[in-house]
Amino acid sequence: MPGVSSASGGGALVPISPESQAAAVYPLHHGLKSPISRLSISWSRGNSLRVSVFAAPSSVEDDAGGTVVEVKLGGGDGEISDAHWRRIAYGSVSPFALLQSRKNAISSLSKMSTNSSPYEADWWDYIMEYSKDINALLGNQKPASVPVIDDPKSVIVKGEEPTNLKAAWELLEMFYAEKPSHLCLPERLVDWLADFDSLFSGTHPTVHSKLVDFQKELVNLQVVEDNPKYWEVMSSALAVGWLDIVVKMLRLHGSYQLDQLSNRETENGLVEAVAVLISKMPRMRLDQEAGKLGECFKAKPDFVKAREKWRAQINKLDSSAFWFQCAHLQTREGLRSMLQIMLGNANSLCSATCHWIELYISHLLYIRPFTVGLESMYSLAQKIIQLKPMASSHRLMGLIIGILGENTEVVLAECLKGFGPWMVVHAIELLTAGSDHAEMLLLEERPNLGGINIEELHRLVYAQVLSSHPLTWQIAPIYLISCMKHGMVLLQILLSKQPVQHNQLLLKSIEICRLYELHSITANIMKIAGVHHWKHGRKGSGVFWLQQARDEYRLNRIAQQLFDSVGKTISDESFKQWEGLIQLLGSDSKTAGGLEFLHKYRDFKKSLQHVFDGKTTDAARQAVESLISLMKNPSTPQRFYLPLLFDSLKLLNWKDRPLLNVSQTNLLLTKLQDLSLARLRPDFIESELPPQALNSVRLALATNLGRAILEE
Amino acid sequence: MAFAAPENPSRVHRIPQSKYIDAVRWLLPVSALDRFAAVAYYDTDTNSPSIEITCVDPNPQGSSPTLIPQSSWTPSSRISSLRTAHSTHQPILAAATFSGSIHILAPDLINGGTVESEATVSELGFHSGPVSAVDLREGGTECVSVGEDGRVNLVSFVGDSSKLSYRRIFDANGLVGYTAVKWASPSEFATGGYGFGLQWWDQRRPGGPVSQFKGNWCQGKTSGIVHSIDIHPSRKHTCLAGGSSGTVFAWDLRAQQQPIVLSGAGTGEAPISLLSESEVWEVQYDCYTRSSNIGNISSTRILPIMICSEDGILAVIEQGEEPLELLAEPCAINSFDIDQQNPSDVICSLEWESIAILTRS
Repeated sequence: MPGVSSASGGGALVPISPESQAAAVYPLHHGLKSPISRLSISWSRGNSLRVSVFAAPSSVEDDAGGTVVEVKLGGGDGEISDAHWRRIAYGSVSPFALLQSRKNAISSLSKMSTNSSPYEADWWDYIMEYSKDINALLGNQKPASVPVIDDPKSVIVKGEEPTNLKAAWELLEMFYAEKPSHLCLPERLVDWLADFDSLFSGTHPTVHSKLVDFQKELVNLQVVEDNPKYWEVMSSALAVGWLDIVVKMLRLHGSYQLDQLSNRETENGLVEAVAVLISKMPRMRLDQEAGKLGECFKAKPDFVKAREKWRAQINKLDSSAFWFQCAHLQTREGLRSMLQIMLGNANSLCSATCHWIELYISHLLYIRPFTVGLESMYSLAQKIIQLKPMASSHRLMGLIIGILGENTEVVLAECLKGFGPWMVVHAIELLTAGSDHAEMLLLEERPNLGGINIEELHRLVYAQVLSSHPLTWQIAPIYLISCMKHGMVLLQILLSKQPVQHNQLLLKSIEICRLYELHSITANIMKIAGVHHWKHGRKGSGVFWLQQARDEYRLNRIAQQLFDSVGKTISDESFKQWEGLIQLLGSDSKTAGGLEFLHKYRDFKKSLQHVFDGKTTDAARQAVESLISLMKNPSTPQRFYLPLLFDSLKLLNWKDRPLLNVSQTNLLLTKLQDLSLARLRPDFIESELPPQALNSVRLALATNLGRAILEE
Repeated sequence: MAFAAPENPSRVHRIPQSKYIDAVRWLLPVSALDRFAAVAYYDTDTNSPSIEITCVDPNPQGSSPTLIPQSSWTPSSRISSLRTAHSTHQPILAAATFSGSIHILAPDLINGGTVESEATVSELGFHSGPVSAVDLREGGTECVSVGEDGRVNLVSFVGDSSKLSYRRIFDANGLVGYTAVKWASPSEFATGGYGFGLQWWDQRRPGGPVSQFKGNWCQGKTSGIVHSIDIHPSRKHTCLAGGSSGTVFAWDLRAQQQPIVLSGAGTGEAPISLLSESEVWEVQYDCYTRSSNIGNISSTRILPIMICSEDGILAVIEQGEEPLELLAEPCAINSFDIDQQNPSDVICSLEWESIAILTRS
């Protein structure tokens, strides 16, 4: 794919597209002096591009003719580094695998019994456990340690930086995994926004950013209640339900100071009354975190009763006469507007909040706390969006609308667009957990996807992403085997493509093959490794892997090559080198292939050594046994016949008595005859022996035959 | 199969790193307060290896210990084997690389862990291809290196250890490949290789191994590779080896060709406890013996050993007893090291780019 060449000398490769807002420019540092004549671009591993830059032929001799550079394309999500993504990928393997095995167990159990209800309760526990495990991977939201001395002027506590990914997962968790607590969804959303409102600060004005700004100013303020921002920020925080912060800020009010308490008694009473009302706000939730304000109610009737009472108290305070005795204007106005918020004045809420999610939360808190069911929540959301239209959207906003609208396709698309393939694969587990509709949609086989379903498609995509990195490819098999249609084939391809140069990597691939019982792939990998080692001169390693693969064909082939070096080197001294290899071959001739010969040859050489060392006739007899077994064996190459016989001349001409009987001598003579015929063939390799070798062997054999006949 | 449950659960801390960890070793401390470890990293994104000296802060207030990097050193290529020894006043590191070189490092732990003196052997012909294993002699004056190319080299420090010279002890010309090595005494060492073969070498008797433990002893069963060898200083006649298929065996030089199989691929007679079926990457004698002291154990009995495996097991094996599982990770444990000063502490490198520190109680 030749591309357009850019200006020479470190020029940038610019993908020009005027409409696209996010045209990324990646400078290439190719270091070529002469002008570029051609570019070639191809995909490298992962999301790297391999750009080959060819220079125009230049007159300068030592100038490089071209260079290859890798361009790493932007990692998409700036807030999570590659290493962090890998950590998430590693950590999500176990929860995912556990959930899959539980799913399989349940589906096989429910097949046996028609009544599937006994597993229903367990099922939700499993889903919740899975979701919590994944959530824990995405970072710890709560501040690590509470300061011992509470700074009265520190309004917001800075915890770990929240991420969009965690925010998205928590949304999915509360809507799809926590089925039984649907009644408390509004309160869950309030908590969610409290944790993650800061995420919107980058693109939108938020209550959180208002608070952060005010926090900075607060240090320099002497009289806070004179500052209009103080009241504005408090109203905003109250609107989104951050009661703790509001009460803490109210207590900064100047009237609390001891020297002013006497002359501002009424004012202080009003401030404290509002603070108490705020901290007594009835809330419909299952559990309350320690230290959080508001009164919790688990049952709806209790909540309704308490809420009516609370509102009556607010109304009473609102219409009380004390306001006229309050001299401080800002305090009076500020407190009354806070009462309006608590009473659910739509205009007050709208002006106190910054973006539609905040307004939505405030409506859920103060106007429609009884909203139940996604349908009504969705219609409310649509109304709110019209009240507070936004210029630009945020990926979390898209996700919320998709979830509220019960539109699985939109949720999936938002997950993919905003958070990548990891998110989609792991979110699908939650989406399909309780919704038959989503399950049908995602698990339906689609001819336009090659017969696979959407779930499998996304798992395959994610597995591909994992496979493209040298560290994460090992976890891709977990996802591939959960794909019914194409998983196994892709797993086989993945394993076959792994590098085999280093034993550690090779053994890791083989281990995965063993786990999934891919014996043919194991054998293939071992064969590749064997040939690789062989080619690089590591003969022992090569033989070992080919033996492990039981590849007799290749073992026989390399045996022929080995014999070439045997003929020259297996003399006497270099024997120690061969010793190890021969031991490795073992006595099991099945796996040794043509190399079995080496084993016997070694035995023969050893016994011959004994004979030459001046040992007895017994040693000589043993040597003859070895010789005969060697010559009988079909794996002995023909070209070794003559050297073997030549080496054993001393045995053939044994002084005391003939060592070979008639039939043995005849066998040797026949072999010698075979050899003479074979020598006529063009591919015969002549051994390096003195020219009279053949004749002396013939003579010795003939003599021996005569002596043997006489003896018998 | 059932494992013996640990009587006192040990504390485990997993510390995520952002790079692959090729090897990890404790360094002998110079003072009682500080504890150091050497970690060989490999950054896959930039293809850059590094050896880092880190201070292990036990962090008594907080929940988990932290690793504080002290200094970093960049080798020429990825580390294939890392060993430590204690010289007169400072620890010495020997690092072997995939490109066939050996580096000797002497970090100065008192002054911020900077890598003080370094020496390198990387001549052409030292090793062809990767060095598969290296071992430093105690005292740190010599190290032995082996490779799959069949070469066994002895590297000696000349003078103030800023220069190295090497001597070829043996060259098998690739007919045999060696994958593990361990010193037994100042003149003897053991090597391991394919087919579960072991070799015993003595520098006083040059020209080849003086004794061989035949490979392929597990007849008919799948054979494998020795990945790690350990020899206890008080039991120099016993060579402990760990390798493929969860095999851990000992070779007693006095009983030449009969392996003592501690785990894994047995000879098929007695049912041997099968701890793991995959690769045993490292074996070490576990000096953290609880009740019995070494003197009481008969010399034919194998001392307690610790292993780590590809399927994520870190366990202690005692001959004739149920193995004690210390860790069962979802990913491979590629290497570990027992702190010689505080044998209750073990540092492990995990496949998923993290380091685990285990404290036994």
